[in-house]
Amino acid sequence: MAYGMIQLVPIAIVAGMFALFILSGLRSRSGQSSEYGFSGSYTGRVGIGAGIASNWMSAASFLGLAGIFYLKGYFGMAYVVGWTGGYVLLLVLMATQIRRFGKFTAPDFVGFRYESDTARTLAAVISIIISVIYCVAQFRGIALLVSWLFGIAYFPAVIIGTSLVVSHVVVSGALGVVRNQKLQYFVLIITFILPLMLLTRKLGYFWILPQFGYGAAISELQQQFGFNWSEPFASTSLFEWLALCFTLMFGTAGLPHVLSRFYMVPGIRDARWGVVWGLFFIALIYWSAPAYGVLARLFEARNGLALNTGSADAADMIALSGAGLGGAPLWALGLLAAGGMSAAFSITAGLLMNGSASFSFDIYPRLIRPNASEQDKVYAAKAFFLVLAAVVMTLTFQPWGMIAEIAAFAFALAGNTIFPAFLLGIWWPRANATGVICGMLTGLVISFTPLFIGDSLPVIAHLFPLTSSAFLGAPLVIIVMIVASLLTAPPSAAIRLFVSRDVHDCPEN
Amino acid sequence: MEVTPTHSDPSFFKPHGTTMRSEVRVISYILSGWLISIVGCQLFAYLLEVNYSALLLDDLIFFNLPIQFWLSGQLLPLWFIILCILFNLWMDRRTVQNLEGSLRFRVKPTRGEDE
Repeated sequence: MAYGMIQLVPIAIVAGMFALFILSGLRSRSGQSSEYGFSGSYTGRVGIGAGIASNWMSAASFLGLAGIFYLKGYFGMAYVVGWTGGYVLLLVLMATQIRRFGKFTAPDFVGFRYESDTARTLAAVISIIISVIYCVAQFRGIALLVSWLFGIAYFPAVIIGTSLVVSHVVVSGALGVVRNQKLQYFVLIITFILPLMLLTRKLGYFWILPQFGYGAAISELQQQFGFNWSEPFASTSLFEWLALCFTLMFGTAGLPHVLSRFYMVPGIRDARWGVVWGLFFIALIYWSAPAYGVLARLFEARNGLALNTGSADAADMIALSGAGLGGAPLWALGLLAAGGMSAAFSITAGLLMNGSASFSFDIYPRLIRPNASEQDKVYAAKAFFLVLAAVVMTLTFQPWGMIAEIAAFAFALAGNTIFPAFLLGIWWPRANATGVICGMLTGLVISFTPLFIGDSLPVIAHLFPLTSSAFLGAPLVIIVMIVASLLTAPPSAAIRLFVSRDVHDCPEN
Repeated sequence: MEVTPTHSDPSFFKPHGTTMRSEVRVISYILSGWLISIVGCQLFAYLLEVNYSALLLDDLIFFNLPIQFWLSGQLLPLWFIILCILFNLWMDRRTVQNLEGSLRFRVKPTRGEDE
């Protein structure tokens, strides 16, 4: 892969794709009043599904997953299963019930259900931390892509990438661009699968469904190059696999920006069927993602290159560099880069705006300026958006890990804090403010302990791995919430009645 | 005005009323299918690897993929979609039944009227 030179064709494709989204957004602005939108328009169940999927797509899906497969082989399947299986939890345990609460954000839900401003503020702080961590993963992806596109080093690429994200949000906001999520999803899926079809066709594999065709590459790697794919748990234990998988599932059901999709959909039935379509659209990406990692290994082996285990940057860019090694045309690489960039930009913009909204409506008027007017809150949101972008940029300079690993840490935090708060909030009316505050604080401690003292206490790092801590952490937090709730006064009769009668349709007598 | 619940709180493990009981029962079935499939597939691959070494896994190819790749990478996401569809179909059916029930209640003739 050629670093140090400007990739003009891919840059033109990336710019063209953003222009397409902005123009399409400007066109759909006029129809917005008659439709419904949470940063996008409502166009039926398929539209809701496309919205869920395009809201979900990120640099972790586009670039990170291929890198994990390239480096860790079968372990990457924990991401595929975790990021799809979480939607089952979300659908059956939360999607329908969340709508009945009629609240629009995670802090709103926690504040209303647990009748506590402290719990609401804590949920807002946690939502912001989750957004920051998730954004670091996305900024890393953007920086790597900018670095490749412009042929510059990682450090200046982070700064340019941040400037581009901020400019994108400001320009889109100033022009009143509405995200056309249906179009965005279908463009993303084409940019992801088309290069893969080209590569498998070039290899003479079954290219019409490259999701199956890449199996021939696994056989070739085993037979000709001695790569051992047939021992799935040779390098990682079954516990590590399951811990990561369940952490990602609990995190999926606890990520504020994923949950927010269900608050805004017009009907419960539409919300439920939208999840099915969303899961199908997401699965299309994850059925394909392993192929990039496997094919990259094959192309390297064919070119006599050794597996590069030392560089997280190289692994995260393996989808692009592998496609380049395989002889994919420059326009195909441009499509892949444009898809990755677009996915990372849209999710980053959404997360930063959600984070700044959480600050300006949940923290600023409660803790900093109690008499703040609506205008003050808007200014606070804009200022905090820039602060968040600067914080994320600063954190992105550090080599924390691979894109998918950083994203997994955000999922672990969501799984240890927001997921138990929602789960018990919906399914156990007796859960109270003390319980949820103790639970969320315990979740924070569980999530960050392996980061700070994992090296000195190996048993902690083993039981609560940084990226997989919610497997044991979430049940522990649920136990803490139950015990703390039972030891203190129950919530008000009104909220218990609301959960029983209005959320679960229980008879009153 | 003070509102007091006249019964003990329901929960996932102690559902109240027909609606919640039936919903919890279906959710339990769906979650059992979800959990067993995830853990079962990994245990299957793990036991094959531990007991029969890599040789058997080399030979077990499904849809062009090694069995463990096919199970986790292709089948499980598809299975999750099927579980979601089953859940939605059941919820839709229940909604229609509830609606029919409430309609029957609404159109019930008053005393003296022809049925």
